[in-house]
Amino acid sequence: MGFSLYSLIEAALLCVNAVAILNEQRFLSKINVDNQNYPGAGAYGNDHQNAGGAKQQLLTLIRSVRTVMRVPLIAFNIITILFLILFG
Amino acid sequence: MGSSLSLFDIQLYNLIHFFDDQESVQKALADCPNLKAIHDKVEQTPAIKNLEDSNTMSSRGPMRLSKTYPHPQQQHQPPAQQQQQQQYQQQQQQHQQQQHQPSQFYQPTAPYPPTEASPNYGGDYPMPQPQIPSGYVTDYNAPQSQTAPSYNNAFFSPQTAFYAPSSQQQQQIPSNQPMPGMEYLSNNPLFNVGLNVVEQGMKDFTGKTVNMLPTEMKKSISSIKYYFAVDQAYVFKKLCLLLFPFRPRNWSLAYSADEPVPPRVDTNAPDYYIPLMSAITYVLVAGLVLGTQDKFTPEQLGMHASSVLVWNIIEICVLCFTFYILNVQSKLRTLDLIAYCGYKYVGMIAALSSYLITHSLFVYRCSLLYVSLSLSYFLVKCLRLQILPDTGGSQPYGSGGSKRRIYLLLLIVILQPLFIWYLTRHLIVV
Repeated sequence: MGFSLYSLIEAALLCVNAVAILNEQRFLSKINVDNQNYPGAGAYGNDHQNAGGAKQQLLTLIRSVRTVMRVPLIAFNIITILFLILFG
Repeated sequence: MGSSLSLFDIQLYNLIHFFDDQESVQKALADCPNLKAIHDKVEQTPAIKNLEDSNTMSSRGPMRLSKTYPHPQQQHQPPAQQQQQQQYQQQQQQHQQQQHQPSQFYQPTAPYPPTEASPNYGGDYPMPQPQIPSGYVTDYNAPQSQTAPSYNNAFFSPQTAFYAPSSQQQQQIPSNQPMPGMEYLSNNPLFNVGLNVVEQGMKDFTGKTVNMLPTEMKKSISSIKYYFAVDQAYVFKKLCLLLFPFRPRNWSLAYSADEPVPPRVDTNAPDYYIPLMSAITYVLVAGLVLGTQDKFTPEQLGMHASSVLVWNIIEICVLCFTFYILNVQSKLRTLDLIAYCGYKYVGMIAALSSYLITHSLFVYRCSLLYVSLSLSYFLVKCLRLQILPDTGGSQPYGSGGSKRRIYLLLLIVILQPLFIWYLTRHLIVV
C-alpha cells in the first residue's frame, strides 16, 4: 500500500537496468542454444502458437530493450542519482 | 493564399455576412482591410459572382464539400452557420447566398438530405446510412428541417460518437462528419475556428503546414472520446450487469462498419466512465472508512489515489507484457483492456460499503466473495468472445493457441479478485 508514482518509476528503472546488464555470453546464449535446435520454431507466421514462440518473444524483447535503451538508460540513471542525492 | 479559396475564407465571408444589411457589412469591412481583402477575394471568384446574379441557390439545401478538398479540416461548425440557419427561418433574402460555395470546389446536394437517421440517442448518435455515398465529407441540415437534430453521416467512426453538448440548446445542429482521421478536438466550435485560424496563419507565415497537435495525439484523443460516449441508461445497465451478471443474455459486441459501436448504443461495449468514476469513488469511500476508524488525514486520500493509479499501471503493464510474450493476437485493444480492468472498482466500492454499513467482518468477506464471483463471471463472459479464437478454428495449431489464450483469460480473471482483496484489506480493521 502507499505506492507512489515515483516508486513505480524507480522500480521500472531498476528493472530496465537489470535487463540491460544481462551478460550475453553466460546467460542469453544458454537460452539461445535451446532455440537454435529448432531454427524455424516460432519464426514463421503468427499462428504458430507453441512454447518456443514465447521464448523467442522474450529473447526478442530483451534484445530490443537492450539495443534501444543502452544510451537513454545512462541519462536516466544519472538523473535519478542526482535526484536522490539532492532530495534524499 | 493563392487563387484557390480555403474554407477559412469561406467562413470569414460567412461571418461578415452575418449582418442583415449591406451597410453594416460595409462598415465592418471598412474597419479591417484584411477582412475586406478576403471578402473581395471570395466575392470575385467567378463562381460566386455568377451565383450572386442568379438566385437559384436560395432554394437549394445544404452544401457538401467534395472529399478532394485538401484543407485540413478541423471543424465545420462555425457559429456563423448556426446563425445563418436562423436567418433562413426568418427571411429568404439575397444574403442567403453566403452559403453558396463556388461550384468548382464543392458539390451541392439534393435539397433535403434524409434526416431520419436511425435511432438518435440524445439526438447526436450517428448510425451509418448506406444510402449516402461515401464521397461526402460534410454537410449540414437543411434549414427547413425542424425535426430533432441529427447527424447525417457517411461514415460511422468512433470519432463521431460523442456528445455535442453545446448543440442541445440549438434548434438545429449543423451536422459535422469529419473524415476518419480528422476529428474534433473539442466540441466548442470557437476553439476549432481558432485552431483553424492559427493553422492557416502558420501556413502563410512559414509556407508549410504545421499541425497544432501531432496526429498521434489527435487519434488517441478521438479514440478515447469513444469510451466516454455514454449515457445514463448505459451506466445503469452496466452497473446492474457488474453486480449481477448471471442472467442469460447475449454478450457479443455490436459492430457497425467494422468499428465497434459506442457504449451508448451497446451495453456490452467497454467504457471509461464507469472505471474512472468508480476509482474516484473508491478513494472517497476509503477515506470514509478510515474516518470511521479515526485514522483519516487528507494525505490518505492522495495516497490512495496514487496507489490506485500505480496498481492500475502495474496491472496493465503485466497484462500487456503477457499478451506480447504469449504472442496472442486478439481483437482486444489495449484501451479495451484498461476499461475491463477498471471495472473492479465497482466491486470494491460495494464490498467497502457493506463493511461500512455493518462493521462486521463476516459481511465484508461474504460481499467480497460475491463481488469477486460476479466480476469473474462478467469478465469471462465479456472477454471470452474477444480473446478466445472463434470456434470456426481456421488455424492448424489452434489447440496450442487457444490453450494459451485460455490461460491468459484465466490470468486476467484471477488478477481482479486478488486486487480487490489486496486493495481493501488494509482498510478492514476488526
